[in-house]
Amino acid sequence: MIDKYNYAFLDEGSKREIRRSVLKAVAIPGYQVPFGSRELPIGRGWGTGGIQLTLSLIGPEDTLKVIDQGSDESVNAVNIKKFVKMCTDVPCTTRTQEATIIQTRHRVPEIPLTNDQILVLQVPLPEPLRVVEPQESVTKKMHAESDYAPIWLQLYESLIKYGKVTISSEYPCLVEDRYIMNPSPIPKFDNPKLHQAECLYLFGAGREKKIYAIPPHTKVVSLAFDDVPFEKESFKGKKCRLCGSTDTYLDEIFDSATGERYYQCSDTSYCKEVRSK
Amino acid sequence: MKQLHTFDEVFDAQKVFRRLLEAMANPGRQCDIRLQSEKLFGEAPDMLALAMTLLDASVSFCAPENPVLTEQIILLTHAKSVSPEQADYLFISSGDLLPTIIETAKKGTLENPHASATCIVKIPDGQTEQQVLLSGPGVDGQTGATVPCDIMQAIGLRDAQEYEYPQGIDYIFLLPESKLLCIPRLVRMEEC
Repeated sequence: MIDKYNYAFLDEGSKREIRRSVLKAVAIPGYQVPFGSRELPIGRGWGTGGIQLTLSLIGPEDTLKVIDQGSDESVNAVNIKKFVKMCTDVPCTTRTQEATIIQTRHRVPEIPLTNDQILVLQVPLPEPLRVVEPQESVTKKMHAESDYAPIWLQLYESLIKYGKVTISSEYPCLVEDRYIMNPSPIPKFDNPKLHQAECLYLFGAGREKKIYAIPPHTKVVSLAFDDVPFEKESFKGKKCRLCGSTDTYLDEIFDSATGERYYQCSDTSYCKEVRSK
Repeated sequence: MKQLHTFDEVFDAQKVFRRLLEAMANPGRQCDIRLQSEKLFGEAPDMLALAMTLLDASVSFCAPENPVLTEQIILLTHAKSVSPEQADYLFISSGDLLPTIIETAKKGTLENPHASATCIVKIPDGQTEQQVLLSGPGVDGQTGATVPCDIMQAIGLRDAQEYEYPQGIDYIFLLPESKLLCIPRLVRMEEC
């Protein structure tokens, strides 16, 4: 561990501010709490919101897992793990069941999380209304007044134009019948995992300076119309080429030389575990 | 030089925060901070442990009618002591003070509901306990719990304000033996 920096890199004042914001976020599920996002030795947009949350949460008793697009071995995940380990000395794992804190980008692990685990999501664009309204002052007012007509209209327009809602990731959801929330760029496939979950979900957007949360056992409903229900991605007829799973989120891999398409589990740790059984 | 306490600002604060987060995310669950509180001093070391975890010069607090605690919190955290209606954190040592304080506590606004007060209430030992039903985010359906009477009274006072959600206040109760129990603004508590 590098002891030239404070434990977990951030100074205690920064951690306290983030911790205060986290508690407010948990008390008001789905509401984006503003916080003073700190500079880190990593560019904004590379997971600084998630890292700041992880650094404010982590202690010597924790075990950390970091995934990026479901993979434990991608560049972003490996570097974040190295950085946190360098300034905390906590053990890192690739097994979902062993981790107390899981920092993730773009995926919720396939193995259901338990009540003693915290899932930290890196969020690039926390504001679900940004696609319909560019001004922060206006979106804040829209949230205050539960004025969500424009986002419903966006879904309706998509339905009229393409015959289905075409949003594949960052699919908006309604939290506790009050706040529309962007569940970060997780695929629609993972949205149902947020509803009445056992674990605590924390969302950190470093560049946009927002923190929000979904406590365990919270109502999270993906937006849908009465006559057009929410549908997650379907992988009917496809299976992972490595472990044979048919009920996981699959990545499509295209071999340009042979023109073949393969599918394999996006959650690499889950895939390995299935293969080892 | 006299050492006032052995509470570690880095590691003990982290442990207290994690217990607090667990309690806030799982309303009704009692989380222990006794080991960390014992490292502090005075008549309310558990309140000081929370103050050291959450407060600094950028937030305000009020410990009504408790000048000793006020002085200790300022000494340890440099937080600003203000009137109850302006305070970000309220440290309430006596249930008798609750009605007037809850009436005036900051409830936030519809646009900024996070700009509301967090009420830290000390529950004295030896209280009659009662069976309650909890519901809301963090609670699996409707869950039964046994809590001291003062908590039910505090929740009743909060509910009487009829805050328009997301406005409201969040409670952190400090039970005997330095146990935390949190009731955030959306969580409802009914008598069985």
